[in-house]
Amino acid sequence: MSSVPHGKTWRKSKKTVKVTRSYPTFPSLNAWEEFRGLFPVDQEPNPGVGLGVEEGLLCQVVHSPEFNLFPNSVVFESNFVQVKRGRNWRDIYKASYTMALGVTSSVPCLPLPNILLMASVKWHQGQSQTWNRPSTAPNIFLKRILPLKFVELQVCDHHQRILQLRTVTEKIYYLKLHPDHPETVFHFWIRLVQILQKGLSITTKDPRILVTHCLVPKNCCSPSGDSKLVQKKLQASQPSESLIQLMAKGESEALSQIFADLHQQNQLRSSKKVEINKNSSGRDSSREDSIPCTRDLRWRASFTYGEWERENPSGLQPLSLLSTLAASTGPQLAPPIGNSI
Amino acid sequence: MAYAYLFKYIIIGDTGVGKSCLLLQFTDKRFQPVHDLTIGVEFGARMITIDGKQIKLQIWDTAGQESFRSITRSYYRGAAGALLVYDITRRDTFNHLTTWLEDARQHSNSNMVIMLIGNKRTQSAFPWTGIICIYSHKLTSLSAIFENVDLESRREVKKEEGEAFAREHGLIFMETSAKTASNVEEAFINTAKEIYEKIQEGVFDINNEANGIKIGPQHAATNATHAGNQGGQQAGGGCC
Repeated sequence: MSSVPHGKTWRKSKKTVKVTRSYPTFPSLNAWEEFRGLFPVDQEPNPGVGLGVEEGLLCQVVHSPEFNLFPNSVVFESNFVQVKRGRNWRDIYKASYTMALGVTSSVPCLPLPNILLMASVKWHQGQSQTWNRPSTAPNIFLKRILPLKFVELQVCDHHQRILQLRTVTEKIYYLKLHPDHPETVFHFWIRLVQILQKGLSITTKDPRILVTHCLVPKNCCSPSGDSKLVQKKLQASQPSESLIQLMAKGESEALSQIFADLHQQNQLRSSKKVEINKNSSGRDSSREDSIPCTRDLRWRASFTYGEWERENPSGLQPLSLLSTLAASTGPQLAPPIGNSI
Repeated sequence: MAYAYLFKYIIIGDTGVGKSCLLLQFTDKRFQPVHDLTIGVEFGARMITIDGKQIKLQIWDTAGQESFRSITRSYYRGAAGALLVYDITRRDTFNHLTTWLEDARQHSNSNMVIMLIGNKRTQSAFPWTGIICIYSHKLTSLSAIFENVDLESRREVKKEEGEAFAREHGLIFMETSAKTASNVEEAFINTAKEIYEKIQEGVFDINNEANGIKIGPQHAATNATHAGNQGGQQAGGGCC
């Protein structure tokens, strides 16, 4: 499933990347089956688009000429509200600010996403924050790209639909799925969390999933797992992405150094007096939210190599996780045979 | 607001030299003494005006740790300008410049403009100066004096050494302070001016995106006459 966002524009403003698009009018978004049942297989529109998790605002920014990042990779995304812990969950920012969170792959043929995208979204006053079909495009700023290996995603509060995002540098975000998203979308995130933690052995093995297309031509994927040959071909055909593949290297080797530096930094911090700049005027730098809820760092072990990588030694698989994410969300959401991906 | 050109910048250099602080000072006009280690890329952007033309700077702030080096290399592509930063109070960060420069030359386009920045990243030795700043703006200048004295005493890299390195390798050079904002504007804007001049001279092929330059939707001149601040692009709160 390649993502070719429509409606991309080159109209930008001083402060923003303005995104305009047209949205198909869908019926209510309350059931995955509705989408599958309504359309014939060969003409089925992408249900992810209808749910606002694909080809959304974040995808359009990342794929826009201004950034032109990961142009052939699907982006799975949603709109979140940043909250903080207390007696009750409280919003950190004004209601007009939300956070777009998404995952994608630096190379589209990777079996799992390896990139996390974060953007801040400023909605116009009084504007409905409906993610998949806003009446007027909000202002969206791409803030950071993080290799997913340096990030841990967890479901923090299922009832409140809150995810916890923790980076290897101990920065923690609590992100509440925007109420405009249907429950199905939170199930996708739960599924993603599970996949990132436990791997996705069903990527190419689950017989329920019918692979109807392939991002990587079959003759490109050597059965012997000759990934070097495949990568060489990719480099020749997509020079713009060949460097991005470097991101996949060196991440695990980075970990031990990060921990060492973190230890040093923590020591440094404890010895420093916080100095307030005259211009800062008390603006929230989210330090409060960067304090981890636990110092238990055992989860870092999962950064080294995910289960899925061990199961997929060749490194390249014909089906993107992003395609299988929706299809494997569960029997209550998907029919037994994947007739749609 | 429409812009004539978009320039992609990348900020590189050893960890802890103040790359993120420089970006924050330039885009938000504020200084954050304690900053999380950068992993991946943090983005910033700001509009400036050069020769009456609106130019958007899209700035990629990268991780400086050696262990992230292979990841950072993937971000050089398509950069029109690079800010190569070292800390004037840490000799080792100056010594590593050659390695950074080799990486930059190898993974970027040959026309990329590189600005060498000797940044003053050091914390004040007088912890009470910050407190004084809060309660009395009048004493701010006093604390700045203390700080400069303190910094100079801890300087490990002479300004002349930075200048010589820049001369030898064909770089522009400035000393900055992310904390006091000294020369921060100039560092970013002078780099843009150099890129702009190269465009005028036809050195950059602006139709080749690999050069890190994009033509804006409306290549129209504005009424502005001076290069300078057009306000922080991402200021004003917002999440993450």
